[in-house]
Amino acid sequence: MNPRSVFKILTLLLTIQVCIITVSCKSRSAGDDLLVLTEVPVAMRQTVHHSGIHSRYLPEARISSVKPGKQDSHRILTGDFYSACWPDISYNGKFMLFAAQEQKDQPWQIYEMNLKSHKYRKVISVNDNCTDPAYLPGDRLVFSKLTLNDTVKSAHCLYTCNLDGSGLRQITFSPCDNYATTVLKDGRILTVNTQLLPDHGNSILMTMRPDGTKADMFYMNKENGSIPNNPRETDDGRIIFIEYGEADSHAGQVVSISYNQPLHSRIELTQGTPVCYSVTPVGSDKYLATGYKPGEERVSLYEFDPANKTAGKLVFTDPEYDIYEAVPAMPIERPKNLPSEVDLLVKSGLILCQDVNLADIETVKNNNPIVKATMIEVLGVDSTYGVVPLEADGSFQLKVLADLPFRIRSFDENGRVVNGPSAWLWLRPNERRGCVGCHEDPELVPFNRIPLAVKIPPVIIPVSVTEIKEKIVELE
Amino acid sequence: MNTVLKKTAIATGIIGLIVLFIQFCYKPYIKWSRAHVDYITAVEDHPLNCLSCHLYTQRTGLIAKLINADYYSPFNMAISADGKSLFIVAEEAGMLMIADTEKGKVIKKIKVGDQPHSVILDKAEKYAFVSNQWSDNVSVIDLAEMAVTNTLKTGNGPAGLALSSDEKKIYVVNSYASDISVISLESGKEIKRLSAGNNPSGIRMSADKSRLYVTSRRALLAPYGEPVVSELTVINDEDRIITKREHVESAYMIENVAFTPEGDLAIMPLIRPKNLVPSIQVDRGFIMTNGIGIIEQKPGGRIIQLLLDEPNEYFADPFGVAITPDGKKAFVSHSGVDRISVVNIDSLRKIINEHSTEELEFYSNHLGVSRRFVEKRIKTGANPKGIVVSPDGKRLYVAEHLQDRIAVISTETLETINTIDLGGPRRVTVARQGRRVLNNADGTFQTQFTCYTCHPDGHEDGLVYNMASKDMGRNLANTQSLRDIGDTPPYKWNGKNHTIYKQDGLRFSTVLTRNEPFNYSDLDALVAYIVTGIPYPPNLVYNPTGELNAMQLRGKYFFERTHDSYGNEIPEKNRCITCHPPPYFTHLQMEDVGSLIESDDSMLFDTPHLNNIYASPPYLHHGLALTLEEIWTIYSKNDNHGVVDDLTKIELNELIEYLRSLSGPEYYRDDNKKLQARIIKRKNSKK
Repeated sequence: MNPRSVFKILTLLLTIQVCIITVSCKSRSAGDDLLVLTEVPVAMRQTVHHSGIHSRYLPEARISSVKPGKQDSHRILTGDFYSACWPDISYNGKFMLFAAQEQKDQPWQIYEMNLKSHKYRKVISVNDNCTDPAYLPGDRLVFSKLTLNDTVKSAHCLYTCNLDGSGLRQITFSPCDNYATTVLKDGRILTVNTQLLPDHGNSILMTMRPDGTKADMFYMNKENGSIPNNPRETDDGRIIFIEYGEADSHAGQVVSISYNQPLHSRIELTQGTPVCYSVTPVGSDKYLATGYKPGEERVSLYEFDPANKTAGKLVFTDPEYDIYEAVPAMPIERPKNLPSEVDLLVKSGLILCQDVNLADIETVKNNNPIVKATMIEVLGVDSTYGVVPLEADGSFQLKVLADLPFRIRSFDENGRVVNGPSAWLWLRPNERRGCVGCHEDPELVPFNRIPLAVKIPPVIIPVSVTEIKEKIVELE
Repeated sequence: MNTVLKKTAIATGIIGLIVLFIQFCYKPYIKWSRAHVDYITAVEDHPLNCLSCHLYTQRTGLIAKLINADYYSPFNMAISADGKSLFIVAEEAGMLMIADTEKGKVIKKIKVGDQPHSVILDKAEKYAFVSNQWSDNVSVIDLAEMAVTNTLKTGNGPAGLALSSDEKKIYVVNSYASDISVISLESGKEIKRLSAGNNPSGIRMSADKSRLYVTSRRALLAPYGEPVVSELTVINDEDRIITKREHVESAYMIENVAFTPEGDLAIMPLIRPKNLVPSIQVDRGFIMTNGIGIIEQKPGGRIIQLLLDEPNEYFADPFGVAITPDGKKAFVSHSGVDRISVVNIDSLRKIINEHSTEELEFYSNHLGVSRRFVEKRIKTGANPKGIVVSPDGKRLYVAEHLQDRIAVISTETLETINTIDLGGPRRVTVARQGRRVLNNADGTFQTQFTCYTCHPDGHEDGLVYNMASKDMGRNLANTQSLRDIGDTPPYKWNGKNHTIYKQDGLRFSTVLTRNEPFNYSDLDALVAYIVTGIPYPPNLVYNPTGELNAMQLRGKYFFERTHDSYGNEIPEKNRCITCHPPPYFTHLQMEDVGSLIESDDSMLFDTPHLNNIYASPPYLHHGLALTLEEIWTIYSKNDNHGVVDDLTKIELNELIEYLRSLSGPEYYRDDNKKLQARIIKRKNSKK
């Protein structure tokens, strides 16, 4: 064989290899990655809650993995646990955080598993139930923990910690349950938030920075007060989740909102009888949904076709288990690692409101409110923190003890309530936060004018505290 | 010979090995370099990369030439009536480029002046006119000869251009002088000078050819706390007089304007800053918002402003605007986010007609209103600036300023269908990458603003911000220029940042952009660009030849004097020259010049550089001195900002005239032959 022939054969082989790699890359879609499933025995179906905080503690649940289209590749990953659920995959696709209960009467804790070796370790070891872990940039994680204290009474607050469990920090401080947390590409946490006190309130999607600052409503279904669950961000700038109506005891509707304009972009991707338990975007244009298919009794995993609003090809089913959720074990882009303004040596935060009397377009149409607020009351969980007069332009500036939940309501000069109380707020140590108005249209930005309240020192809240001696922090 | 070469190679190799050994293995050196890099960068994990500081920040010499490249940087454009020729101003190359739109390639490059800004064509397309912002003239190009055949002298910083309706005169917007030259095309002489708003830029003839609108980039000077107002100057074309000075409230950086073919509306991109609100967060539009102004073209017509931003995504630095011939769509380029917003003009009309002025005022601060009139956002290459629609309305051309490319977008499918490569360098140099970083809003939470937003052209935006230091409402900060600041540490008014690395690193992201800090590669690039790539424009108004006039010379005497008018010796620390020595006119030290005001914490201030100080009002750290005079007539007490109390009014004016003559630092270095040559060239051309 002469050298030219050898060269030709080598070139041919190389070309074939390149073609194979190219074809395999092209045909490989995101959905071909390993899927990690949360499964619950069919026998437990009637005892499972599907919305609210109770939906986060699934009895006798297990986490398994399967390769799409290969039923026999199904493998149980959490056989050592009484119950395990809600896996979150690391950004490199190699690890998984999950919540699990070793024994039935033991608290739920957070674990991390190597998806290759299946070795796992306990990340959090506390006496209270923990659930819904999600990876944060910077080798940290966020999770929900049942918190019992005088401030929040009994609520699932969010906490963050390092992946080795150190550096544990509480980041939400209101009497609200926070669960089903995910992390947006912009670096903020997106969580389902349900007010517990003084009344059980609506469930909303709330965002905050990983240090617990700038907590704000992201989405709320004002029309029917339905409950969102398991939100996920898609690659094309949407948030997709399951929404449960009050009457929906089992499944819910798949709903999508735009990241850019979450309050005015709601699209129902399913209609009619609710059939879905969860929906997960896979790559840029594919969705997996768990739920019933019409005529089927099993809760299985399907490809979801948002255009036709139907479950498509069956991906996986198990005769003895309902599939509650599926997440692909694939690398994803790391969200932004937001810097923190929190300084734990500082004891307070500042909040500035530009004009309490500014609300929405209706106030403008009605030639501004007939009754104008002249003062606000800052309410705590059990008591009032004080009444503060407003400046002539409707502005106020408060220096509030950090990590203290409070609500604000406004009064007119005759002491009649004009607006409020607001949703629960809190300020992290050294947080500075601004509002445009009171119960204002959340799409409003401030007018470019100096609020009178910044020309005088802030009012300390609670007003019973006369002075807060603390470290001076210079931001700029 | 071979032996010599061999020995040299061996010696070089040995030296190289020693250097590598020291750099990577010699622990004391590694320890020292770690400490050095930590000091410079103010962090402890910046890679030990000597090149980022010691190579990429080289400004002159062979190395600087090797590591940098000459880009074209397309800026504004014009298109021929048949749509076949696209005229592209190449800002960095000082050229007019002519591209064949059918072939999709550049067919001619014509050298014009320094930093060309805009190009227009006459109706017969015999001539193209190019404004040269750093040469104070307009190049007249004969399109038959494809050559510059005449040069028209203008005011300072010519930018936007427009021909009068009879095409006998050309209007030239002098952006630095804040006025408008009216030049006769017959005589080539300036026949009139009209005053404009602050830092005017764009100019456009109305659809009925009766009047011209001139937009302003900077707001009118006003004390902090007064509303931000920019001027829209209206010129009557027939009489060439200013008929109105419209106030555009709460807005600035109005670069351009366009009229609908029906003539019912004019649309201008603008930024609505929030400098009067404490900068406590970026969320919910607390720093900047970006939108358009719509000017109703009817008696009593209103100026309505609507945001192009959305609640969780902002579209920073709107620049160009173009309207399709059918009047259905307007396009706005966002140079900070590499996007084009497609605006449905009928939807705009509907919004305007449906709502009262009060309601529209409310909507001017509403992030949700854009969903009612923005049809699409089209992705572009880096830093889209000027845009033009082809005469048949089918194509939109976008000057991708920092991509050296023109994007061709179908106005029907709203997709990019082609690009015209200008033939610039393929490689992206470190400084070029830095320029892209400075001009891009990716570094800011939800892309609300860029470095460029507050530092347009690497300068400053003329606004004072309340950075909410310690408590809200305290410690105002007058934005400072980025021009040639590499050698003038420390940074910030309080001088707390000793390097640009520290200034633009973690601190910057924590208190300002509220986003993930720049990665170190981008930070290195940004520093390299700031150090090497932002020169001062020539001071052609007050110091065109490099020689001081008599008044300035007298002012120089007062600046450098050692004794006051009564013969008393001025203490050295109270002489102007002590704290403001050339070439940067700063001694780089912290000083107290009695400028503290009630809202300031007690502190010293970094002595600012004075190069091109005439172009940086307002003055002092709080920006309350609106003119150089006010520094002494209002804000200096007891001669603690230099000794001036003994000066007569005329003498103070002379001192100020000298300050106005101060140019870039290169003017004060003896070894700058290139500059000397430039000055001589200018002197000769003046003769």
